[in-house]
Amino acid sequence: MSNWIKELTNVSRNRPTELREAKDGGVKIVEHTGNFVPEELIYAAGAKPYLMCRGGEPEPPESPLAYLLRFMNPLARSLAGYNMLGLDPVTPFADMIAFQETDCQVGRVSELMEYQKLPVYKLGVPSDWKKTLSQQYYYRALEKFKTSLEELTVEKVTDEKLLDQIKLSNRINKGLEKINELRKGDNPPVTGYEFMRLNHCTFHMEPDKAAESVEAVYAEVKNGQGRYVQGAPRILIAGHAVAIGDYAVIRIAEDSGAMVVSEMMDEGIRPFKWQISTEGNLVENIGKRNYLTKFPPNIFQPAWKDRFEHMKKLIEEYRIDGVIWYQLAFDEIYDMEAACLAKWLGEMDVPFMKMESSYEYSRESMGPLETRIESFIHSIK
Amino acid sequence: MNKNTYREFLEFVAFEPEELETATEEWIKASQILGLAEEDIRYAMEEYIPDNWDVKFLGVRKIVGAVIREAIDLTKAKDYKKDGVKVVYGILPAILSNYMAIKVSGGDRVYVGFPDIFLAKVLNAFFHKLDPFLENAEQNGMSYGCRHCALNKTRITAKMQDVIPSPDIIWTWGLNCDEGPKTDEFINCYFDDDWNVEITRIPHDTYWGDCDSDNEERIDYLADQLNHSVRVVEETVGFKVTPESLKAASTATRQYAMKIAQLNSMCMKADPFPIGGNVLSILGSPLSMPYNTGLKHMEGAVDILIKEVKADIKNGVGILEKGAPRVGVYFTPYCVPWVDTIFRENGVALGFSLISVVTKKAMMKPMKYKDDPYRIVAEQWLRSAAGGNMGYEFETWVDKVETFKPDAMLMGFFDFDRWLGAHQKMGTMYVEEKTGVPHFYMEADFWEDRDYSAEGLRTRIESICQVAKMNKKMKEMGK
Repeated sequence: MSNWIKELTNVSRNRPTELREAKDGGVKIVEHTGNFVPEELIYAAGAKPYLMCRGGEPEPPESPLAYLLRFMNPLARSLAGYNMLGLDPVTPFADMIAFQETDCQVGRVSELMEYQKLPVYKLGVPSDWKKTLSQQYYYRALEKFKTSLEELTVEKVTDEKLLDQIKLSNRINKGLEKINELRKGDNPPVTGYEFMRLNHCTFHMEPDKAAESVEAVYAEVKNGQGRYVQGAPRILIAGHAVAIGDYAVIRIAEDSGAMVVSEMMDEGIRPFKWQISTEGNLVENIGKRNYLTKFPPNIFQPAWKDRFEHMKKLIEEYRIDGVIWYQLAFDEIYDMEAACLAKWLGEMDVPFMKMESSYEYSRESMGPLETRIESFIHSIK
Repeated sequence: MNKNTYREFLEFVAFEPEELETATEEWIKASQILGLAEEDIRYAMEEYIPDNWDVKFLGVRKIVGAVIREAIDLTKAKDYKKDGVKVVYGILPAILSNYMAIKVSGGDRVYVGFPDIFLAKVLNAFFHKLDPFLENAEQNGMSYGCRHCALNKTRITAKMQDVIPSPDIIWTWGLNCDEGPKTDEFINCYFDDDWNVEITRIPHDTYWGDCDSDNEERIDYLADQLNHSVRVVEETVGFKVTPESLKAASTATRQYAMKIAQLNSMCMKADPFPIGGNVLSILGSPLSMPYNTGLKHMEGAVDILIKEVKADIKNGVGILEKGAPRVGVYFTPYCVPWVDTIFRENGVALGFSLISVVTKKAMMKPMKYKDDPYRIVAEQWLRSAAGGNMGYEFETWVDKVETFKPDAMLMGFFDFDRWLGAHQKMGTMYVEEKTGVPHFYMEADFWEDRDYSAEGLRTRIESICQVAKMNKKMKEMGK
């Protein structure tokens, strides 16, 4: 692992402490569950965001089972689970927990947290995204969110403040995209694991620091040495999310001799390829980028053909040799999309492997997991 | 093949003598399409239906008959389509009156149905024969281990194995769940380009305890969604769905709902309990899925059943002895009808289903919208228990439990449903605390029993029955 990623990880690990101090100084803290809840708005209102996207540990998804269905994905269950185990450093003092209401699993978890009397906020994201009606719904939801933030912080979200935040956000994204471009090379100077962690770190830092850090990383790695064995198979990892802390599959793939050079994930990663326009109605610009410009998440409908087009572009641009579909257990919609992708990629002769995780990474589970990934990598070498 | 078996079956489910000749031929054809062999028909007639359904009532046999009629009609949908009839499907849960309005407007020019739930109902409630549909889907993308919904698997196989035609349009809903509408995208992407989909959704973004129908912006949004989708359906089928037909459909549904409410109320007040929970549960099905053949057969059967039940109540006749505990259910799993039977074997009656009863309190609240049919329908849905957030839904459960006064409540049977199943454990705690009525949660599946066999659940059911009896006794003793 590079030194820069170690340093950034340490900075981001300190984020809960920083937030606690900020809270003690009168700043409002807003936890949120993903990119449909724009952190640009949260900062512009004078609050501080904290992304809830932890995973990769078996106990948190288990702990809400007295309240929830067993057959729900472990990431959704972890949203409530970390707090129930007393392992969430921010939820106990968060002033608002803003959920992006995209699907049933997250929807029910948000209701569990309401049941637990936590300060839940719900931001509706209609999944029938091609209708003007639905687009307007999301834009209105953003306006309501802005108003709620203003009420929470007693601070006006002016265009000027929002523009500053959008510019910072775009700067982070541009930096990430420049690093990501380096991954198109024969032997990239950053690993897939590092790139994913870098993304995660940027969520848990002040945006100006995040932008500076990403730019510094680019400066350091742009002429750097390749991190892989020359000619190693090139992998695209796709699916719902590589949560913060859930790095087993990427690491095993890279330890098995592959280079993970691209991702297509719905959560836990910045939409760095798509900038927010700084002209005109800024809230709507955020909405458009999240809802229309970026490739649609799996839950949107119809989405899978659009998503496959995006995947094909990535396969071409990053010269992908094989796709690992990283699926969370009981994530039923992703499971269905996986079947379509297996069929379509099969028609293109692109090797595809579905890998499922329930965040159970015990010694007993790791053996078969490693064997499967190693075999896949071996088969495409 | 012995033709008499099929004819005997239709006689058993109270087809009229004069229709038997034609109906038998049609039933034989339909059975072949549905994958029912002669021995399946005989098994259903001689064992499965008598064991699990109250066939002593003519009304019940006629209900089974009405379902069989609709199943026969469903297997003709391919022929209808060849003859130029437009085919419109939907999925559960949806606002039924919209589909009925399409049928009212289109008449014989259109076939309207929810094929998956109908197939699941016919095949598992009466023949215990849905498994081949499920297994096929599991070999084609719906991984067994991922716990997908049986209805969606059934829809996939029904199309894949040519039981049903591709629809001219499937108007698919995601007001509750994600997997239902996404299954239509799956069918379209995976194997059927002709599977034409129109989708209506609304995010789950209201707050604990708020009544969604008090939110005018939400009503407007849903009404606009409905209006939009109706326009798309109209363009596809080539005729207008008139506001009058929507009103007529709403009225017919309400009228049927009143009869079901009357029967439920009558049964819950009676001692001994007069009829099984399976029947009370399946009677609500025309409120959640359209019958292309119309409501007349179901409604006629219900009218007969009401009279028969009234007579039994008057004569003090019931399915169990007087004083036996009765248990309310989230939704009595009539597609796994042996659950009701095991309860009964243990001296406990399954009574009303939360999902299919309305209370006076809910009905008395005046509707805000009177003229705009889309707003009327949107308001109805957003006021319904399933149309709201968890806190609101739990309050409706409290109201129902307090109204029908069961000795215990049984929750569960929706382990596959990340919306309708995901909140039931919390509901169990919440409503028990508010009402004092003991609640039990049982992880199982409403539509099929491969993972939860009778042997597997029997001990659990026996324990629930023992506790229900003990509680009732203690209540009677004033403890």
